[in-house]
Amino acid sequence: MIEYSKFELENGLRVLIHEDNSTPMVAVNVLYDVGSRDESPEKTGFAHLFEHLMFGGSANVPDFDEPIQKAGGENNAFTNNDITNFYDVMPAENLEIALWLESDRMLSLNFDEKVLDVQRKVVVEEFKESCLNQPYGDAWHHISDMAYQKHPYRWPTIGIVPKHVEDAKMEDVKDFFFKYYGPNNAIIVISGNVKVDDTKKIIEKWFGDIPRRNTPKRNLPQEMPQNEFRAKIQKADVPVDSLYMVFHSPARADEDFYISDLLSDVLCNGPSARFYHRLVKEKQIFSQIDCYITGSIDPGLLVIEGKPADGITLEEAVDAIWKELDELKNDLIPENELIKWKNKVESTLVFSEASILNKAINLAFFELLGDANLINEEVGLYEKITRDDIRKMAQQIFKKENCSQLFYKATKSVVDN
Amino acid sequence: MPNRVIAPEIQEIKNLKLPQPTVLQLDNGIPVYVTNMGTQDIVKLEVIFYAGRPFEDKQLVSRATAGMLKEGTRNYKASQIAELTDFYGGTLSVPVSLDTSNILLFSLKKHFDKLLPVVGDMLSEPIFPEHELQLFKKRNQQRLQVDLTRNDVVAYRKVTEFIFGKDKPYGYNSEPEMYNNIGTEDLKKHFYKNFASGNCKIFLSGKIDHEIIDMVNKVLGQKIRKGAVQKPQIKTHVDRATKIKIQPPAPLQTAIRIGSRMVNKHHPDFKGLYVLNTILGGYFGSRLMTNIREDKGYTYNIYSTIDSMFYDGCFYVGTEVGNEFANATIEEIYKEFDILKNDLVNEGELSMVRNYLLGNLLTSLDGPFNVSEIIKAHSMEDIALTEFEALVQTIKTISPDNIRELARKYLNKNQMWEVVVGP
Repeated sequence: MIEYSKFELENGLRVLIHEDNSTPMVAVNVLYDVGSRDESPEKTGFAHLFEHLMFGGSANVPDFDEPIQKAGGENNAFTNNDITNFYDVMPAENLEIALWLESDRMLSLNFDEKVLDVQRKVVVEEFKESCLNQPYGDAWHHISDMAYQKHPYRWPTIGIVPKHVEDAKMEDVKDFFFKYYGPNNAIIVISGNVKVDDTKKIIEKWFGDIPRRNTPKRNLPQEMPQNEFRAKIQKADVPVDSLYMVFHSPARADEDFYISDLLSDVLCNGPSARFYHRLVKEKQIFSQIDCYITGSIDPGLLVIEGKPADGITLEEAVDAIWKELDELKNDLIPENELIKWKNKVESTLVFSEASILNKAINLAFFELLGDANLINEEVGLYEKITRDDIRKMAQQIFKKENCSQLFYKATKSVVDN
Repeated sequence: MPNRVIAPEIQEIKNLKLPQPTVLQLDNGIPVYVTNMGTQDIVKLEVIFYAGRPFEDKQLVSRATAGMLKEGTRNYKASQIAELTDFYGGTLSVPVSLDTSNILLFSLKKHFDKLLPVVGDMLSEPIFPEHELQLFKKRNQQRLQVDLTRNDVVAYRKVTEFIFGKDKPYGYNSEPEMYNNIGTEDLKKHFYKNFASGNCKIFLSGKIDHEIIDMVNKVLGQKIRKGAVQKPQIKTHVDRATKIKIQPPAPLQTAIRIGSRMVNKHHPDFKGLYVLNTILGGYFGSRLMTNIREDKGYTYNIYSTIDSMFYDGCFYVGTEVGNEFANATIEEIYKEFDILKNDLVNEGELSMVRNYLLGNLLTSLDGPFNVSEIIKAHSMEDIALTEFEALVQTIKTISPDNIRELARKYLNKNQMWEVVVGP
């Protein structure tokens, strides 16, 4: 059970504080309700570029990292389709340093041309390092583009092409900042060795006078249900063939989400799960296989990706997967198998609560979903799932017309080391 | 309105005390280091043998032996081990390490008694089934094949190969064909020689009470066979450092590794080098990051690191940069070496590094699992736990002169291997 207190400042900033006195540290998590789904199709990768710019100095502080490091802290951030999330982990007595810095960059950036210029280049190198100069590195570009035709999830957070990032202008930056980086579009969570009352006062001191912004109401084109099988073959100089199958699955806040999560566990959440046990070990059809859900706020994807074992074709590999999926659609899973994955969920949740940073990030995300207290209700939501729920979910998701399939085929050129 | 121009006062980190473990001995003589802390009812068990590369008779055998322990014992088939671990929500892994073989179990406290016997069996009666070994080899060969197409992997492999020697324990690289030379007999031989009480230490952390300790003694204190300490086989290697260029087909970035052999934890200079390395490339605000990423935008990431093995050590700078920036980056890396050798670090930067590192150490003392990591790092190499306090003192007091001296002694261009993987 994670206890917390929650309040809202007059400018709309939502604040959650969780006391954990077993640690000498404190985690500060600032979540902004903006991600790559809020970008325009001509300017993709912008939310992520913006995350970088948030470290380049703010209205009154020339450098974000220096004071954090001087205070013995660490900080970082991540951007995904839905959110941009910043966090700082500090010795608890230096909490105020983090709040001073976070509040100043929420108030205003310094909009330095040099910072923009350098970070554009850094992000382009990141694009190359993570997508272009890696075997299968652009797989997600192909997959999201197939699975989504209307919804902005059709491009990855890093952006469609580096050019979009290279073309970013200072006026875009300013516009984006004042639209999305306001207190009324943010949630801050403090978790660690703090006292609620004292923390409340410092939050009010640093964040209280930041003006509310006119954040536009989100109105995204929603994806229509997919009703035809989509397939693509990509040939490239990769060492071995690889396959990806994705299926539309429930949105994060949907109660059915938990069933789809458990369904993916049945397939792949450990060495005893069906894919690994049967397809890697018993039948030796795959040398590697994975299955997971994206868990996005708008309806997401259940993803299956794997590399066939030597001598197995991609077609044979796909057949073997469908055989497993069909079995889940036809037969109830054994009761013991359901208990197993529920046990594993319980264990994962207990372990994740050992970290103040995890708790801070999760509290913020659940609050964004509608209610931070979901963090305490999750175990119960998994607990009540039945074998029949799993079968129904399999029937709902694993339809051929709900599937997009990418074959990454090796052209077998000689690689010289 | 708060005054935003003036930073709130920074409080110094006062309490940096390493919690002392309770050290017990199992019936077969294995020492157990217990860190009983934390709020969650969870247990981490790590059983470590001195059975890594310095103890091998044949290359790759240490990794294969450890990797195969989960693949079948006298009482449990591989699938049963997997089933039991998952059923009770545990995580069982055999992380790869150069010097040791580690068996790592995370478990809820309430299920520990169901999972411990599996570990006991793995460490006393593994059977290394032939068909599982074949599968293990195939999986690893394919993974390696994929890894070898990554320029950063190729660069890392090359630089360590050159620093330590191609056929030496720390220098050799796995090649797909090497797996073909390993048979179950090799694994059995390695296991029975090295996986014995005299070669083993155990680390328990989390909510650890008498019940847990008794269980560990009842299982691991009996099942791990008695046996003597083994001697490592370490051969040294000295070659003149040089430059190596590798050209993969159509790379979009250039991977760079520049490095040399380096003293390890057992050397009196190591603690100071830890501070020097942090300044150079050990944190986000480091000189390499500030210059090459934050000022010039040549890369997403650049770092320097010191790898301390039990019997040797190395230092290297690593980065992936746009091809057009490769030469300029190499030049800037050496320029940063020179600045550290010529100029004294100013107090502002040094105090930032001191505080950053102390904060880091405070984080490393947060929670039972982290504390246990520190205890492990010391006791596996028979380094006194008081050395932690000594490191804190070095961080607090090392002088700019000291740092410059270390840079002059260790950051020499003519001792650096330079590996460039790019067009």
